[in-house]
Amino acid sequence: MTGKLEPNVVETPPAMNTNGTNVQPEHCEINRRDFLKLAATAGGAALLGSIPFVQQVLAQGGEEYSYLLSLPENQIYTACLQCNTGCPIKVKLVEGVAAKIDGNPYSPWTMMPHIDYNTPIADAAIIEGAICPKGQAGLQTVYDPYRIVSVMKRKPGTARGAGQWITVPFEQAIAEITDGGDLFGEGMVPGLRESYALTDPDLAKQMAAEVKKIVDESDADKKSDLVTDFKKTFSRHLDKLIDADHPDLGPKNNQVAFVWGRLKDGRSHFIKRWINSGFGSVNAHGHTTVCQGSLYFTGKAMSEKLIDGKWSGGDKFYFQGDVQNSEFVIFVGASPFEGNYGPPYRARGITNNQVEHGMKMVVVDPRFSKTAAKAWKWLPIKPGTEAALALGLMRWIFDNERYDAGFLASANKAAAMAKGEPSWTEATWLVKIDEHGKPGKFLRASEIGLREKEIRPTSTDPEKTYEFDYFVSLVDGQPVPVDPYSEDPTLAVDGDLFVSRRLRDFIVKSGLQIIAESAREHSLEGWAEISGLNPNDLAEVAQEFTRHGKKAVADIHRGVSQHTNGFYNVLSWYTLNALIGNYDWKGGLSKLSAYKADGSKAGQPFNINKADGAQAPYGTSLIRHGEKYDKSTLFLRDGYPAKRNWYPLSSDIYQEIVPSIGDAYPYPVKAMFLYMGSPAYSLPAGNTNIPILSDPKKLPLLVVIDAFIGETSMYADYIFPDTMFLERWEFGGSHPSIPFKVQPVRNPAIAPLVPEVTAYGQNTPLSLEAVLLALAEALELKGFGPGGFGDYGDLTHPDDLYIKMVADLAYGEKEDGSDAVADADEEEMRIFVEGRRNLPKAVFDVDRWQRLAGKLWPKVVTVLNRGGRFEAFEKGYSGEKLGHPYGTLLNIYQEKTYDTKSAMTGEHLTGYAKYFPGPYSVTGEMLDDEKDGFDLRMITYREITQTKSRTSSNYWLLAVLPENFVLMNAADANARGLESGDQVRIISPTNLEGAWDLGNGNKLPMIGKVKTTQGIRPGVIGFSLGFGHWAYGGVPVEINGTTVPGDERRVKGIHANAAMRVDPYLGNTCLVDPVGGSAVFYDTQVKLEKVT
Amino acid sequence: MKKRTTESLSRRDFLKFSGAAVSFLGSLELAPEKTLAAIKTTIERRPLEFEVSPEDDQIMRMQSDLQRALAKPVEERRWVMVIDLRKCLGCHACTIACVVENKLPPGVVYRPVMIEELGTYPNVAMRFLPRPCMQCDEPPCVPVCPVNATYKDENGVVVIDYDQCIGCRYCVTACPYGARTFDFGALYTDETAEFEGIIFGKPSASAYERSASYEYGEARQRNDGDSSPIGNVRKCHFCLHRLKEGMLPACTTTCIGRATYFGDANDQDSLVADLIASPNVMRLKEELGTQPRVYYLT
Amino acid sequence: MNIKRFLYGLAGLALLIGMWGIYDRFVNGHANTNYGSYVVWGLWVAMYLFFAGVAAGSFMISTLDFLFRIPVFKGTGRIALWTALVTLAAGLTSIGLDLGHMERIWKVFLQGNPSSVMFQMVWGYTIFGVLMLACLFLAIRNPEGRLLRILMGIGLALSLFVSGAVGALLGVQAARPFWHVGLFPVQFPFFSFASGAAVMLSVLAFLGPKDDPNRKQQLWILGILSVVMVLVKLYFMWADYSVSVYGNVPQNVAAVREVLFGPYWWAFWILQLLIGTFIPLVVLLQKRLVEKTLLIGWMGVFLLVGYAVARGLIIFPALTIPEIESLATAFGGPHLTFDYFPSSVEWAVTIGTVGMATLGVLLGGEILPLYRQDRKKGKA
Ligand SMILES: Nc1nc2c(c(=O)[nH]1)N[C@H]1C(S)=C(S)[C@@H](COP(=O)(O)OP(=O)(O)OC[C@H]3O[C@@H](n4cnc5c(=O)[nH]c(N)nc54)[C@H](O)[C@@H]3O)O[C@H]1N2
Ligand SMILES: Nc1nc2c(c(=O)[nH]1)N[C@H]1C(S)=C(S)[C@@H](COP(=O)(O)OP(=O)(O)OC[C@H]3O[C@@H](n4cnc5c(=O)[nH]c(N)nc54)[C@H](O)[C@@H]3O)O[C@H]1N2
Ligand code: SF4
Ligand code: SF4
Ligand code: SF4
Ligand code: SF4
Ligand code: SF4
Ligand SMILES: [Mo]
Repeated sequence: MTGKLEPNVVETPPAMNTNGTNVQPEHCEINRRDFLKLAATAGGAALLGSIPFVQQVLAQGGEEYSYLLSLPENQIYTACLQCNTGCPIKVKLVEGVAAKIDGNPYSPWTMMPHIDYNTPIADAAIIEGAICPKGQAGLQTVYDPYRIVSVMKRKPGTARGAGQWITVPFEQAIAEITDGGDLFGEGMVPGLRESYALTDPDLAKQMAAEVKKIVDESDADKKSDLVTDFKKTFSRHLDKLIDADHPDLGPKNNQVAFVWGRLKDGRSHFIKRWINSGFGSVNAHGHTTVCQGSLYFTGKAMSEKLIDGKWSGGDKFYFQGDVQNSEFVIFVGASPFEGNYGPPYRARGITNNQVEHGMKMVVVDPRFSKTAAKAWKWLPIKPGTEAALALGLMRWIFDNERYDAGFLASANKAAAMAKGEPSWTEATWLVKIDEHGKPGKFLRASEIGLREKEIRPTSTDPEKTYEFDYFVSLVDGQPVPVDPYSEDPTLAVDGDLFVSRRLRDFIVKSGLQIIAESAREHSLEGWAEISGLNPNDLAEVAQEFTRHGKKAVADIHRGVSQHTNGFYNVLSWYTLNALIGNYDWKGGLSKLSAYKADGSKAGQPFNINKADGAQAPYGTSLIRHGEKYDKSTLFLRDGYPAKRNWYPLSSDIYQEIVPSIGDAYPYPVKAMFLYMGSPAYSLPAGNTNIPILSDPKKLPLLVVIDAFIGETSMYADYIFPDTMFLERWEFGGSHPSIPFKVQPVRNPAIAPLVPEVTAYGQNTPLSLEAVLLALAEALELKGFGPGGFGDYGDLTHPDDLYIKMVADLAYGEKEDGSDAVADADEEEMRIFVEGRRNLPKAVFDVDRWQRLAGKLWPKVVTVLNRGGRFEAFEKGYSGEKLGHPYGTLLNIYQEKTYDTKSAMTGEHLTGYAKYFPGPYSVTGEMLDDEKDGFDLRMITYREITQTKSRTSSNYWLLAVLPENFVLMNAADANARGLESGDQVRIISPTNLEGAWDLGNGNKLPMIGKVKTTQGIRPGVIGFSLGFGHWAYGGVPVEINGTTVPGDERRVKGIHANAAMRVDPYLGNTCLVDPVGGSAVFYDTQVKLEKVT
Repeated sequence: MKKRTTESLSRRDFLKFSGAAVSFLGSLELAPEKTLAAIKTTIERRPLEFEVSPEDDQIMRMQSDLQRALAKPVEERRWVMVIDLRKCLGCHACTIACVVENKLPPGVVYRPVMIEELGTYPNVAMRFLPRPCMQCDEPPCVPVCPVNATYKDENGVVVIDYDQCIGCRYCVTACPYGARTFDFGALYTDETAEFEGIIFGKPSASAYERSASYEYGEARQRNDGDSSPIGNVRKCHFCLHRLKEGMLPACTTTCIGRATYFGDANDQDSLVADLIASPNVMRLKEELGTQPRVYYLT
Repeated sequence: MNIKRFLYGLAGLALLIGMWGIYDRFVNGHANTNYGSYVVWGLWVAMYLFFAGVAAGSFMISTLDFLFRIPVFKGTGRIALWTALVTLAAGLTSIGLDLGHMERIWKVFLQGNPSSVMFQMVWGYTIFGVLMLACLFLAIRNPEGRLLRILMGIGLALSLFVSGAVGALLGVQAARPFWHVGLFPVQFPFFSFASGAAVMLSVLAFLGPKDDPNRKQQLWILGILSVVMVLVKLYFMWADYSVSVYGNVPQNVAAVREVLFGPYWWAFWILQLLIGTFIPLVVLLQKRLVEKTLLIGWMGVFLLVGYAVARGLIIFPALTIPEIESLATAFGGPHLTFDYFPSSVEWAVTIGTVGMATLGVLLGGEILPLYRQDRKKGKA
């Protein structure tokens, strides 16, 4: 034994180290026995195409007794997907079986600073970064016994969700979905063909152009006339429309919707290529609003640019703090130690910063999170009053003049540049107060004869022109014209911060004046009162916040955005940050920057968005996003309030999708595809989705691509298995918290456990891509198949897309290729190939990959060997600023938002930081359930060990936390005669029964175990995400007449989303943020009923 | 090489046994014998060249410390672990990393993290305490072993010889830190379902659990039956099998709070030497005279 | 004689149950046991300590005949010796099954660590066992010889040593303050003697030759001995608990509270105190009841139950107290709990070993010349 432990790393290379090579025969014995057992498996497995897996297990029989996991040939770098942080990882393999997962040291996620990108991977083999417990447990997600590996079809004659399945051949499923027919013995089901009505792109473009005219016409009568004209013009094609009287709804193609939950680039390109440019439907919708919607869409509103005189081009993005460099941080409704983006990256930055540099932290959270455990102050705020707190702090800052006057004074780029500020705001721009005394649109120079409009060429086409009208700021009381983006020093404007006066025949106020007045609606005490906090704390925090220059930051997340007033909570906190001008500064607010891998940058070899003969989808989306209600023809029909809300400022409104289908508003949907999403489980009041998903009359065809028979896929007509994160491609992108330019590449590390199928005559693992390819083949969609990529060749196999993307990534973003990565040398090539020796040809084929990558192949290998591309640490910063600044106009006063009218009330929205007491319904009606005895506010949160639907199968994690609780303050518990361990049922105004109605007579009572704590605000209860499942391998299902028993470890605990309040106006949807689109998680009043 | 013959041998035997699985035979062509051989002969582990700077991730500092230590004779090294409780956020990454690294079965844990809530609303605190084996210099667990199966090896690490241990669990009762647990032979996938070709199923799923653990540099596959380490007491061993390869302990590299440090306390330039010199160090139950090699910073 | 048949029936049944337990233990290893990594030692270890005690004890009793040659006990020696052997065997079975790798037990002999109390105990009992065999052999062949006396002398010393070792096994552990108290090891020889007396009480009462003129005398004396021992044991217990409580080591206080008011309070109050102590006390102190040999026999059994429970209540409480706060909730899983109640397999095996011992005593009586009348025959 002694010898074995003799360290010898330097002396002997491990591979040859002879430790323990003396095989105890017993090991071999047992292996042989083992072989036999597996041989039984093998027969079936062969058909399954999962042979390599089995065979690998066998190969372990005669294993070299050295530490195989330390060899570079046994490691593949890819990206985790246990949660959406997507940390780059290295997967360690023993003969193809993933045996251990660790952090990828080349990436900033897991090391700080990350190692030099040019470190040979042979050296990196013994260096590993940090990943969280979920990441460590990833094996149990992929090697989950309950993963489906065969196509499931709802057993004909049984209802959706009845848990009865038959397995069908892939080809049969594809055929049935394309052609429809009486598939379930309950009448005809329309196939995709039927909805694939408008197939001529040119015709589509013509129709779209006419529709635009209709929409742009504001006069009602003229609008109707235009509709009549339209019908005349296209009389021969009206059958292709959903509703000829409402041409703006678009073609029947829109009646097929593709919906996803967790989606990353690569796969997103595949899906959009299929549904948009292939099938010609506008309905491709993600899950953003269930996630952190208003964070993104406030970010979008703040980043709207003035393009050709119009506010547009806002980016769906948000800001996070560069907290590892901050001196003071306020985390609001964010828990970087448990959730967020994400623990491995942020936690180290914070703990190091605290211990080594004394960084101070405030946590604003009704619950004492693990983050709060390290905080200087914990502010247990009243849920939903986040804006009030922000405005309280702002009030103190205004009163004490602690704001960054210089930053705020810059009215345009030139002024900002002069101060070395990357960004600037409308703080000094003059805003006209409208007839109701409401701040409205910006004053234009021409309106006061200050300066005439200018004719300027448009950004897209220099031939075309538009009229540019200057904005106005006051400089020492004198109006001056403002050109926001001018870099001309002579046009630099440093305006007066606070203006409130009459100018000609306008009452005008400066943007900052309006914000200050909003902050002065209440005294500091008043604001403290509203948010249930102590005024002294507010003063102290405000003071501290303004004591560190730009190295202080308020970092916000879901706890701020997922409220009915989410948009304004977020805007208020981002405005607070603007007051100290910390945007784009080290230790301040940061935006994400990721390398483009889609070839959209000049010089990149493959523009993969290219699709010859692509469809030109048009029409109102199922969730009515990005369009104004008052412009639609439905407005002529229905007037105010609209039947359901419209979302001109946001998109991917997850909670709208299924209920809109249920209400057939704006139109009925024939088929829905759902990929890697589980709305029934993840949405607030997700239970409202179940009756709709279960009803073939409302939704004739439901196809789900999912690795499990899960909480939502259980209602599907068909479930297609998928390759999971260690088996597939994706381009994970980054997060605002990461200042470095990066692009992790998720790429196959293990042989897929799913069988292989064929599309376009090629073998592919049964997966999302296989389904899309096969359907494209069946429908002969453009942009797929031979020549699908035009001059770049075919799209008949996933590699055709993904290898091209890696090539683009490897090439870089400089047209001349000057920032391309280095070529892989021979050694790295060898390791690359040997590392993938256990991948089947359908997944890895050196020749195929090399052919696709062309001359960039050696660079592609460099990127894949490192699991992506990560720029050097230094590049993340330039001096005291961030290396990749947002660097433009930051809308803290938003004209576009004001210019948007509520589809419910027809009133203008508010375009600045303001507190709106909530919660309220989509129509703005205040909700007061407390008076009806619902005496507790329910919130939800993350434990670091769980995600939504992925980790409940991770038995290692369950050992740490086997179930969640109903977390409540000990005082509240005593008052109700409860103690830890008691069972309680959660009852809410819209779920008086306190149960999940799963359909088919199955009810799952919402009963959880009380856990009393001092660490939660009295009057608030919480439950953590990820437990209380009701499918997902936890309950028996019947497949081909055989009952597959469930494993009850997977369904422990409680999931109380079904208690979350339903909007009184919508009736079948959770509460929403009508502006930012957020699904609302934290605004429900409940009561508890002891269960004995 | 000798090993590889045994390997093919056992394969051939296997084939004899299972003429049945014909489809399987074919697949063996894929068997990556050659590439394997390639690996075993080509990989050279050269010492990494570092110039670590204070700005570097402490991991890199420890990596280079580790290399220096490994270059020294065993007896001149003093492996210690330092855990900074100010940085620990109770995430359990270390716990799980350890479980996976060592393929620990249900009921066996080397490094639990204790979580305690203190105070009353709104003045609340939370404490996190990770607990590996202390590798005591005066280990009460050692003298009690009737067969010398557990002892302090030349690395100063208290090890267990799985082939010597009779599983009497006397050492478990002797450890004041609860650092030893007994392997009852279970698998996490034990209670899961099988349905070949429809769901992935238990038989294949359990493969990752049964794939070799490399504790003490011996690859031990976990097979049914009671071959060691089943029926043995198990404990943290400072990842000796990784140290040997120039790798830090699994709990240390994955610590997302960067709260766990490892190295050679005899090396004055090492990070751990710096840390245990600070005034705020403490060790658990020092009063028992066990002389732990795990230090805590508070 | 129907008590005999009754005992045979009982023992046979017990053995059957035991068989099932042992089967499960071999097929499923330790999977279906309830002891774990926190409550490391369970029923089987407790029973081992108990049987070992009984063995040492009944050997001591046999010395009354063969070493000290006390007239009243003339003729009780061999059955006492035999009982010692049988119970030792039962004890070893119990501990053997408890081992993770019993097939490696030889290592204790060939690759052992002499400084380990467990090593010493295993060696001690092995030698002790061999020696007892020799004694029995001589006791049958040549009871009057000097050699027997000498061996009995050595044996007596050994029996004190081994039963002391049992105490030391636990006592040496600084990690377990509840065991780590001065008196601790010392108690065990007394315990052993006490259980020896008790077992002989029932053996003689149930199976002893009716025609032995000393019979009543023997039972009466063993009864009184037991009473004294029970009182001593009570004293020790009080000492332990009070020391623990006054010493105010939190772990110990917790342990004591566990015993007295924990989930298994009844084991202490009903089994150990009421059945194991007071009832026998009352009965055995009444000379007139000596007539009722059956009753006396059962009193012996009661006492034994009491002693067995006492062993358990020494081992478990110390183990049900976490070494570190909230260790219990830090990581969950099978066999990671601080509360312990033996599983059906553990019970089955234990019942089996008891049956085995009983059967052993009964059969020994049939085939070996163990009782008095036999010795007459031997003379003739
Ligand atoms: N109570 C509560 N609810 C919440 C939250 C909360 O904090 N509390 N958080 C919300 C947030 S932030 C979000 S982002 C949403 C997320 O909600 P969703 O976007 O709906 O995502 P998941 O719930 O993770 O659903 C993942 C689905 O994908 C399946 N799946 C897993 N792996 C794969 C795979 O590899 N391929 C395929 N095709 N399918 C796979 C799973 O079986 C599951 O059905 O949840 C929200 N729900
Ligand atoms: N472990 C784990 N990590 C994850 C994920 C996961 O599923 N599991 N998912 C990833 C995804 S998709 C996302 S979107 C992020 C989300 O990351 P975060 O938004 O940081 O995480 P959450 O736990 O949803 O919410 C953060 C905090 O808000 C608090 N909170 C709840 N209600 C309120 C309220 O009314 N007001 C305030 N001020 N705070 C409140 C909760 O107690 C919680 O501590 O996490 C990512 N990381
Ligand atoms: S935070 Fe954890 S689970 Fe999420 S991606 Fe990173 S390692 Fe995976
Ligand atoms: S369990 Fe093993 S290591 Fe522990 S004392 Fe017994 S034999 Fe020694
Ligand atoms: S902590 Fe326990 S197991 Fe580890 S050396 Fe110390 S006594 Fe032994
Ligand atoms: S050093 Fe290794 S064995 Fe010990 S706790 Fe850490 S990971 Fe586990
Ligand atoms: S990984 Fe690090 S931070 Fe997390 S619990 Fe372990 S020691 Fe603490
Ligand atoms: Mo999310």
